[in-house]
Amino acid sequence: MEYPTFAESLDLAIDRERAAVAFYDELLHLASFAAQKSTLAEFRAMEEGHVTKLTSMKAGGKLKLSAKTVVDLGLAQSLSPSEPSAAAMTYQDILVSAIKKEERSAALYRDLAATALDTDIGETFALLAMEEGRHKRYFEELYDSEVARDN
Amino acid sequence: MDIKDFIAPFAVWKRAFEKPFTVKKPIDQRPGAPRYRGFHKNDVDKCVGCGTCEAICMNKAIDLVPVAGREAKAGDSGLRPKIDYGRCCWCALCVDICPSGSLSMSNEYLWIDRDPEAFRYVPGVDKKPWDSATLGYSRAEGYRLLEGKRVDMAELPHAEALKSFLELVRGYSREQAEKEADRCVSCGICVASCPAHMDIPGYIKAVRDGNLETGLRLLYETNPFPEACGRVCTHLCEEACSIGSDGDPVAIRWLKRYIADQVELSNYGQILPRAEPSTGKKVAVIGAGPGGLSAAYYLGLLGYKVTVFEKDKAAGGMLRYGIPEYRLPYPALDKDIGYIESLGVEIKRGVAVGSSLSLASLRRDFDAVYISTGLPVAYSLEIPGDKHPRVLDGVAVLAAATRGEALGLGAKVAVIGGGNVAMDAARTALRNGASVDILYRRREEDMPADPQEIAEAKAEGARLIEKAIPIEVKDAKEGGALFVWNEARMVQKEEGKRPVPEAIPGAIKEERYDSIIAAIGQGPELSFVTEEDGIAIKRFKPQVSREGKTSAGNVFAGGDLVNDRKDAISAIADGHRAAQAIDRLLGGKGV
Repeated sequence: MEYPTFAESLDLAIDRERAAVAFYDELLHLASFAAQKSTLAEFRAMEEGHVTKLTSMKAGGKLKLSAKTVVDLGLAQSLSPSEPSAAAMTYQDILVSAIKKEERSAALYRDLAATALDTDIGETFALLAMEEGRHKRYFEELYDSEVARDN
Repeated sequence: MDIKDFIAPFAVWKRAFEKPFTVKKPIDQRPGAPRYRGFHKNDVDKCVGCGTCEAICMNKAIDLVPVAGREAKAGDSGLRPKIDYGRCCWCALCVDICPSGSLSMSNEYLWIDRDPEAFRYVPGVDKKPWDSATLGYSRAEGYRLLEGKRVDMAELPHAEALKSFLELVRGYSREQAEKEADRCVSCGICVASCPAHMDIPGYIKAVRDGNLETGLRLLYETNPFPEACGRVCTHLCEEACSIGSDGDPVAIRWLKRYIADQVELSNYGQILPRAEPSTGKKVAVIGAGPGGLSAAYYLGLLGYKVTVFEKDKAAGGMLRYGIPEYRLPYPALDKDIGYIESLGVEIKRGVAVGSSLSLASLRRDFDAVYISTGLPVAYSLEIPGDKHPRVLDGVAVLAAATRGEALGLGAKVAVIGGGNVAMDAARTALRNGASVDILYRRREEDMPADPQEIAEAKAEGARLIEKAIPIEVKDAKEGGALFVWNEARMVQKEEGKRPVPEAIPGAIKEERYDSIIAAIGQGPELSFVTEEDGIAIKRFKPQVSREGKTSAGNVFAGGDLVNDRKDAISAIADGHRAAQAIDRLLGGKGV
């Protein structure tokens, strides 16, 4: 991965999105009631959408992602990285794990962008980092408005 | 014939050369006096469309009409006065009484137009030459036909209040209530802002007229919790009150309490409507909070056999277990609940749905089910160390206080959060002898708690630490827990969005506390709803129609669980709407 090609970069991103789908699959398997399952299924579908999107971009040979940097609310840094116990997951637990997951992906892409020797590949990772930042922001906004309403 | 009759025609000629008493160009040469009452002006942005001008006009020269580009919203009917100068007598009573002070009169008094329709116009909307006139008539500074100051409510002094859980607010006497009711102009703008659309002008008039039986009937038409709401309602009505646009809003909440306080529970039965004959149908309600019991009350009135399943040992939900007694004494809540039970509503206390009793079995055994289980799960701080034994959840602390348990909070307490639960937890801790810090991530003005609650918590001695981002909880050497936070500054990161707290690098603070009460938010407990129940749920919220119907045929849901307001009056309104919808589903008229 030291000198990845465009296709390899996209493969990495697609694999990470597939891992996210698998993550939600695992939680879905452990979930015990309808509210957990519907929320996890919704988030899983989002990740599946990302797989499809990236796969089609890989086939097209071009990354069509917005280069607009999303504003960081700074919420993720202050949240504990602990993973929830699946059977009793609350909405808060699910959102926190989603935020942390997106944060980790964004951080990885940022690192890869910073260390890439090829400018185009660096740009690809930078765009992927921004995309993950947008996903994180989406979950952070949900967290801010629906969970930490009084904080 | 007299000689003067012959001379007169010649005598008047001598006047022909004198200066005339009339003027050729009256507009130029005879301007109105500085405070002359000429044509109306209206500051349409200040005007709230309350219609008090229309009501006071003796000549019926004013109509409230819709105007383009101005929609109705909380505290504004969206209508504006239209003046008919065929009727106006320029008495200026409309200006004198205008609650917002938006209406005034220019000193222009001459206007010539061949079109008679032109003399009916909406000041401030239909542009006129005198719109920018500075002279004319407006209400003099300090002069008001309406009383702008509300009748004070006696309260326990703060130092006294901290010694016990005695109710803070004492309630109006008859004289005070009637005086306060007299301030209402019956504009009705408040009705739209009340989630339950209570007949507020109607029951205030009943207070004014000394007719409390009518008042109680009007309260119960839309709200079977007048004692509770008369004390702890979020009173959106008062925010909308037109009198409040230039003075203190009418104390609507206290007047509601006055009516309920004055009528004995034993007399309710003679005053309020009794239940209709039995329909032979049964409805189950899950949760005996204000929403569930509101549904139960209206279903009971419609002749349904209602059984309410409540997991706790006492009914009332968050009104009992989330609001301290100094704000809502239990006898007052019990009075509301007692009347609902007197209609034949059965409350099964200490029965949780989900363990031995499933939702599926309720659906089988009852004709309809209403879920109103609220938000009983306290969300955690989600920071390292938040499982420390001295980190408590605010909802649990308040519930323990209700049950009369020893709280063991210690001498120094931190409350994390800025909502009403945080304020109630802080004030409960103060009454248990603790010194209290309230730490909030944003600024005081961003706090979602009722401003009155915040002010009272501070007045009782709580210290508010704003812009404090929780970082960690650690063991303290001296015992208890060390709370670590990062000081923040508010940054406007995006235009049009609220400022965001941003940690100031290196500005780490820590303080030792005996207890740290987390009150950052609450969520639902929905483990009793399975996929087989067929209720569509999105992000832990059952999806419902406007009337509370879920995707599962005979199951309805409402209250904090589904609405965004998350207050008692909204839950009550949801319960009422769902009761009507359930009635329609089961063959009734739903009224």
